[in-house]
Amino acid sequence: MSPWTRLLIYLVAAPILGGLLAGWDRRITARMQSRQGPPILQPFYDVLKLWKKENVVVRRSQNYYIFFFLLFTVFTGGLFFAGADLLLVIFALTLAAIFFVLGAYKASSPYSFVGAERELIQMMAYEPMVLLTAIGMYMVTKSFHVHDIAGHGSLLIFALPGVFLGFLYTLEIKFRKSPFDLSCSHHAHQELVRGITTEFSGRSLAMIEIAHWYENVFLLAWVFLFFAAMPALGIVMSVAVFLFMIFVDNVFARLKWQAALKSAWAVTVVLGFGNILVLSLWSGKPAAPPAVVDAPSAPVMVETTTPKLAAQPLPATTTTDRRN
Amino acid sequence: MSRFAKSPWLIHYDASSCNGCDIEVLACLTPKFDVERLGVVNTGNPKHADIFLVTGAVNEQSREVIRNIYHQLPEPKVVVAVGVCASSGGIFAECYNIAGGVDGVIPVDVYVPGCAARPEAIIDGVVQALDVLERKQKEMTALANSLDKALFQRATKADAPEILALQKIAYQSEAEIYGEDSLPAQQQTLAELEADFESVPDMAKPFGWDGPLPVPVGPAQIVFLKAVVNGKIIGSVRGYQLGDTVCLRRLSVHPYFWRRGIGRQLVRELEAAFPAAKRFEIFTGRESSRSLGHFRKLGYQEFATTQFNPKVTWVYMQKDRA
Amino acid sequence: MSAVLGLILIPLAVGGLLCLLRSDALRTALVVTAVVVVGALSCSLAMRPSPMDLAELPFNAHTVSQGVMAVGIAISLFLIYVGIRARNALVVLLALAQGGLMVWFKAGPGAHVAVEQHLFVDNFGVIMALINGLVGGGICLYALGYMREYHGKAHADVRDRRPFFFGLLFLFMGAMFGLIFANNLTWLFLFWEVTTLCSFLLIGYTQTDEAKRNALRALVMNLAGGLAFALAIVFLHQKTGTIELQAALKSDKALALLPAALLCFAGITKAAQLPFSSWLLGAMVAPTPVSALLHSSTMVKAGVYLVLRMAPVVEGTKVGLLVALVGAVTFVIGSLAAITASDAKRVLAWSTVANLGLIVLCGGIGTYEAVWAGVLLIIFHAVAKCLLFLCVGVVEHKLHSRDIESMAGLVVSMPRVSVMMQIGMAGMFLAPFGMLISKWAVLKAVVDASPVLSVFVVFGSAATLFFWVKWMGKLLEVVTPPPRVSKELETGEAVALYGLSAATALACLLFPLISRHYIEPFVAGVYGLSASLEQGNVIIMIIMMALVLLFPITFLNYGRGVRVTDAYLGGANVQSSTRFRTSADTVQEVAIGNYYLHNLLNEAKLAWWGVAGSAVLLGLMFLLALLRL
Ligand code: SF4
Repeated sequence: MSPWTRLLIYLVAAPILGGLLAGWDRRITARMQSRQGPPILQPFYDVLKLWKKENVVVRRSQNYYIFFFLLFTVFTGGLFFAGADLLLVIFALTLAAIFFVLGAYKASSPYSFVGAERELIQMMAYEPMVLLTAIGMYMVTKSFHVHDIAGHGSLLIFALPGVFLGFLYTLEIKFRKSPFDLSCSHHAHQELVRGITTEFSGRSLAMIEIAHWYENVFLLAWVFLFFAAMPALGIVMSVAVFLFMIFVDNVFARLKWQAALKSAWAVTVVLGFGNILVLSLWSGKPAAPPAVVDAPSAPVMVETTTPKLAAQPLPATTTTDRRN
Repeated sequence: MSRFAKSPWLIHYDASSCNGCDIEVLACLTPKFDVERLGVVNTGNPKHADIFLVTGAVNEQSREVIRNIYHQLPEPKVVVAVGVCASSGGIFAECYNIAGGVDGVIPVDVYVPGCAARPEAIIDGVVQALDVLERKQKEMTALANSLDKALFQRATKADAPEILALQKIAYQSEAEIYGEDSLPAQQQTLAELEADFESVPDMAKPFGWDGPLPVPVGPAQIVFLKAVVNGKIIGSVRGYQLGDTVCLRRLSVHPYFWRRGIGRQLVRELEAAFPAAKRFEIFTGRESSRSLGHFRKLGYQEFATTQFNPKVTWVYMQKDRA
Repeated sequence: MSAVLGLILIPLAVGGLLCLLRSDALRTALVVTAVVVVGALSCSLAMRPSPMDLAELPFNAHTVSQGVMAVGIAISLFLIYVGIRARNALVVLLALAQGGLMVWFKAGPGAHVAVEQHLFVDNFGVIMALINGLVGGGICLYALGYMREYHGKAHADVRDRRPFFFGLLFLFMGAMFGLIFANNLTWLFLFWEVTTLCSFLLIGYTQTDEAKRNALRALVMNLAGGLAFALAIVFLHQKTGTIELQAALKSDKALALLPAALLCFAGITKAAQLPFSSWLLGAMVAPTPVSALLHSSTMVKAGVYLVLRMAPVVEGTKVGLLVALVGAVTFVIGSLAAITASDAKRVLAWSTVANLGLIVLCGGIGTYEAVWAGVLLIIFHAVAKCLLFLCVGVVEHKLHSRDIESMAGLVVSMPRVSVMMQIGMAGMFLAPFGMLISKWAVLKAVVDASPVLSVFVVFGSAATLFFWVKWMGKLLEVVTPPPRVSKELETGEAVALYGLSAATALACLLFPLISRHYIEPFVAGVYGLSASLEQGNVIIMIIMMALVLLFPITFLNYGRGVRVTDAYLGGANVQSSTRFRTSADTVQEVAIGNYYLHNLLNEAKLAWWGVAGSAVLLGLMFLLALLRL
């Protein structure tokens, strides 16, 4: 499949899949609470309704930020499915989230404001782990490109068990599930009214929902990446992770933001960084030995269009080696 | 069923309930009744809700809150009064602090009887509310689609409450520009607005007019216009003729219908309603670049300014009849 | 050749002249002319092919060297005098030590050392010159209007010493040019000392007790760096027989390691890395143009310039690793500390410290990728940070506060400045703008060189995100709309701010070109190969940029199809979004304040740990350098 086809499929199928996932989520949650729960298509009904409702705002410009939140979330997922650089994907994701947060700040209401601050704290909590995940994948596959990572022969999970667990931990934050549904919650039990989304209504709220669908599909696809060598297993594991998220959501109570931040960072250091440390010791030398400076008169090779940084010609010895 | 009927989100407010009805409302969420199977979500946030569920009678403290929440609900919206207290004041109706049922403050669409209202009854009330919701939604769409069929008519005193509500919404963004909580147009009371139909108010004085206002004035000197779409007033303006000059005042258009030519049309109609006038005059805030531009396009030019208060300066604009 | 000399000498001459000028109009004319000339000269320098051949000097280098020596002694004497007057033994000792060392060196071992090239200009130098000339020039223009206002009503108690102030600004600029172009380390050292001296005098400009104290602290720390520099020259000569920068880079790495470590140390002091960050934070007491100058184009950039120059020597060594670690620790601590600050200038100062940490990290790693990323960082940081400082300066004058909390609703009260501030902040941390591109490059370089260090980068950038976004949010949020400020910008301020905003945007748009024509040739010249961004990623970045630029366009549709209501306050609003009725039936104003995480982070403690940790790291570095590991 060419990147463009994949991109197209994502753009069309992700909201459908995301909406269905949200529907299942609500259904399963209801069943876990021995309720019947809404129809599977309920999220679609909600969004369609919201689309037709009046748009009530506190500050007129607040909705534009939400539009860009949606735009960049879609863009992020698109990059991912097109096989682009994982770091770039993360940066685009951050940009999207920042638009969301700025929209909530712009709304200038106490509840959305506190929601925005908490969302920021959550971003601060998950960002390191997400970056480390990308770095871990790079260390194993020698490429930041989703395309190459997916095409890597081995199961990444074997090399990156700690990173995987850490990633799961932050995934709970990204999915806005308990114990980390600090900035806004999908459930009846809320504390900041609706947190970051309090002041958004109508079409803007619908956009936020749709953006979450896109985002969730993209995140599950990232889970898939850990098992990309065996696609069937990957799909099973993605679904399993999703179910696990719902389970955790229903089992745990909400944490304070201090605890969320501290625990997420602790997990990042212990599991994520620990894994990477082991990996770098295991593979002996750093992933790419530093280059030698022989003489400035050496032929100048300015590399501009080669696809990968790592694929550059690198002399084998290091300065340290030579001196010894 | 339409999309509205499938996804009713509600906000529940306890006006002064004995908590009996509240408990029953919460019971609806429990596994036994599980309203979520109907798509109901208790949002707790007016901005997200479609249905406003009120329990308990209205007292001095809750009156403003009910009104505020109601205004913060986006259209289309439905109000359900749950329990006899919310419907009529119930057993508390005679209390010194009770103002009666919810319908004394905001329009109620569905009444759910009972003390306490049974969960089945509450669910039934919500389901009935869905029909109302759907009807209102249709009205709203029709409103937006029939703009070109807007009617420009003379307003009467009976329109005063609706015009007052419109005025408050329309001037909100102006107030924002100046950092004021409200501008004079928003502070007007119903009685004052009704008086505007008969006599020339202070604010209608032309710039530099020192003399007393002519009382009483003939009906030809006062023209009060409204723009109506599907029976709803979405815009209004009034004009007062003093000598050769006509003062246009309080041009307001519902924000939902901005930039669609309603304001322009209102001004044109008003000018046409004063065939004898030689000069037209309006004033607006100096920072309101949008309305300044609007009037410039209509041929008005600035000629004077006055300081209204430290934050607000009025700019007077005039136009001579060609 | 003439351009290079012109760039060094013209600012110096103008600086001297400005000290004598009392008339405001004349000063303005002179400053504007000088800025234009210097800007044009640095641009013309950028047009020429580099590295340039500067072996032939149009004057007798020996005489100049004598002059350099004389000026150096004069500075040392002046500093000793300062130290005695301030009763600060440390200043006296340090000044005495380095002055004595240089005199001894000149008279003894270094008397007959042959220097082939006194000056040297390569692409890195050109980039630095452009930053210094254009950004520094912008600051001088800004200072014209700013200082007029500063002495007008804002700080009536401070003695008006503007001739002295502007003279120093240009002196500083000239010294910076000299520092960039010098190849003879003794010359470089002189310019280094001049920047130390200028910064001391400028920080102490207001002559308040706090200013004097902070100026002295800056002096002590920079003199310590200066001493290390002097020692480096002596050791370098002793071991390799040369005192030329370029020759040192080509000499045996093992021999040059100790001098390189000393020079890195000097760079670290000047770049205000932990444990020396406190001088930069203290420098906030000076008028804003000084802060901007110190933080963006001169001073701290001189420090990282030197560290990056040393990169090939320390690459792959334990010394390099320790330098990188100091940078990494500084990055994390600086970013975390910035979260706790609410004083806008303090936030900016911590962020400078943090970002320079990132550059030092690059220098310490020293691979070609890292150096490439480091140079990118220098460029983007200089423009964006300067813009931010100047914006804060304007806001401070208008609002009489530089507390971030007081900037709520700046979009309403000072729309233009707030938009420019947003541009600057976006340039500091947001994809697809400047700094993020470089952070990305840093991350890649770090992962390639030593993945373990990447943990610092990821935590640091997460913290960075937090404090920038909450500041951005503060500017946007309009709880109670403040009144519009009548005259936002003076002419000079406007020129500088618009120019810098444009530069920030342009640097992002043109960075592939900048990289190809300046950074890559430089890196390739040193390492034989160079890094660059992949074509595909550049295209994606450009798409992102285009999408972000759509944002202002959507505002054409502003306010359509929405209904404005009050914010949700539990229904208790009193006819507005900002007041509500409390349960005690009183009316209360809504107040919203940012999180500073004081219950998690403590600035003083963070700084303490940072200082302790990095001091240990530096000690270890010297130890290893002595052992030649
Ligand atoms: S109707 Fe009955 S149960 Fe409900 S609030 Fe009134 S008194 Fe209580």
